[in-house]
Amino acid sequence: MGSPNEPPDGKTPLGADLVIPALALGFVAYFFVSIADLAWEAKANGVLIGTILLSLIAVQLLRTAAQLVSGKASLGFERLWAPREALPKRLGLVLLTVAFIVAIRWLGLTLALFLALAAALYLMGVRKPARLAAVPLAVAGAAYLLFIVALDSDLPRGPVERLLGF
Amino acid sequence: MTWGFLLDQFATQLGLWWVIWPAILLGIVVGILPGFSPQNTLIMLLPLTLAVKVEAAMAFMIALYSANHLAGGIPAILMKIPGSGGAAATTLDGYPMTRKGQAQQALVLCFTASVFGGLISTLATIAALPWLSQLGLYLRSVEMVVVMLFGLTLIAVIAAKDMVKGLIAGFFGLLIGVVGTDHVYNTPRATLGFIELYDGVPLVPALIGLFAISEALVMVEEKMIVAKEGLERAAGARWAETVEGLRMSLRRWWQIVWTSFVGLAIGIIPGAGASVAAFVAYQQSRLWSKQPELYGTGVPEGVIAPEAANNGVTSGTLVPMMALGVPGGSTAAVMMIVLQYHGMVMGPRLFATNPAIAYGVFISMAVAYVFMIFTILPLARYMSRIVLIPTTYLAPVIVLVTIVAAFGERQYLFDMALALVFGVIGYIAHKTNYHVTAILIGIILGPVFEQYLVRSLRISEGDLSILFSSTLGNVLWALLAASLALPAWRGYRQRAALAAEKFGDER
Repeated sequence: MGSPNEPPDGKTPLGADLVIPALALGFVAYFFVSIADLAWEAKANGVLIGTILLSLIAVQLLRTAAQLVSGKASLGFERLWAPREALPKRLGLVLLTVAFIVAIRWLGLTLALFLALAAALYLMGVRKPARLAAVPLAVAGAAYLLFIVALDSDLPRGPVERLLGF
Repeated sequence: MTWGFLLDQFATQLGLWWVIWPAILLGIVVGILPGFSPQNTLIMLLPLTLAVKVEAAMAFMIALYSANHLAGGIPAILMKIPGSGGAAATTLDGYPMTRKGQAQQALVLCFTASVFGGLISTLATIAALPWLSQLGLYLRSVEMVVVMLFGLTLIAVIAAKDMVKGLIAGFFGLLIGVVGTDHVYNTPRATLGFIELYDGVPLVPALIGLFAISEALVMVEEKMIVAKEGLERAAGARWAETVEGLRMSLRRWWQIVWTSFVGLAIGIIPGAGASVAAFVAYQQSRLWSKQPELYGTGVPEGVIAPEAANNGVTSGTLVPMMALGVPGGSTAAVMMIVLQYHGMVMGPRLFATNPAIAYGVFISMAVAYVFMIFTILPLARYMSRIVLIPTTYLAPVIVLVTIVAAFGERQYLFDMALALVFGVIGYIAHKTNYHVTAILIGIILGPVFEQYLVRSLRISEGDLSILFSSTLGNVLWALLAASLALPAWRGYRQRAALAAEKFGDER
């Protein structure tokens, strides 16, 4: 019996292999549009690299098409999601990071990092309250000492930094 | 230059131990953390380096710079997150060694290769400085275009299992590296309307996203970094593993020597840098190996070659700065600013007017490497324990802390979001075998490549045939074509042999 993540038809799922070429193709198209009206010195490099990249993408598309025609492959995206059990954790981690980047403006580095890390650990399956508090506290404390106190970086200050006088 | 002069210089540098030790420790910390580059650290410490005597400032900068090159390999081995672009090639075999429960041995290999590679190339530089300084003069913009393409092609061929995918990744990175204003008219290109991208795509968020975040997103699939079969071995690691790592290094002493020379030669070329050197050394090591098929599975040679080479670069990068007044990299540029502040004029005359500084830089580096081996080697055992932390804790900490580090280079919140975008691209690339290293090296080389290409084309008034107008350049083109054709031909032969074998079995 195959793994639950394996496609039932036994064909190699190649749809995911086309995501990077698709991104690259879109980027080349946008790049060409953005340099259309510029002097040749500003577009020479982009045109050269873009053309080579387009040729390589064409080769990859032909290879995939050949596999599809021979019946050995499908356009499935399984490789991108597999294993399915990890998908909620992975997506959750990305969404929490987005929330952290947005919230850091108002909460400041220390508090935002503490809350985001506590939430991320919970998402990953940590349930012991002591660990859920201690790990984020240690990491946020170290980040505060390094970035705010020692390096005096421009990272956003929030209630914690104001309370501690930075 | 006499032996007496050299010994006197060594004694002077040894007397600066009080500057060298803290610089080594700081360099190790900076090297381990992606997002903390040595040049930024030196910029932050400018008030210190400008305030002390030139000899002490130089010793401090050199020790920090060398330690940084060494330490970049530590996270590359333990977590597949290179501390700098120069350590990207170390992930190829260093991380598989960690997965097999040999993190401690891999770290020792990394430290010995780095220290002895750096030491050998520094001593060679001291001996051959007047001649080495001429090497960079033979490479003009035309040859540099081919060198860059050659480097990128090698990386694509080596790093990716599939050459077409590797090349797509490399050229995708190269195009991303072109984003921003052009070198001649300063007109913005492909910036998506973000003013933060006018200066180009920042390297630190790209590095953090492509390596750290993408790797953490993959990491959540497993409970530990170390594979099940290597877990017991990693947990039971003692001093014996450090000794075993030293034995492994000793048995491969010749490889340390010749790959450090590869690094030195590439370091002398302005702009080529540690990342290209590490990959070229790795590729050459695999090419001359009796078991090239084992590369990528966790072989000691795969750690030694890139580490000896990227530390060989440290002295090479300083050669054009000292001899020609052209810094070989961004850290060298910061050092040059500090030395110029102290009244030193870089260039050929420096060797006549101030030999103590000209040679002192390299002697200082040799002394720093000697100090470094005693500092870092005992730490290997303790550093390797980090892989025993469950990914439940490691993945969220890596994602959130490195996202904060992405802010460090330019102090823009935008860079944190950019790191996440690169993290998602890196994750997709990782899952579909488009090697992230090729994308990163493309981004690093993008602006330098454009600079040389446009310079060549301006000389020829837009005629592309100038790229084939030099003998040295044409030799490099031929080598580039061979590096593409040979793996393709080898693959074809292997497939043909497999098909013949299968046909024979069926009969």
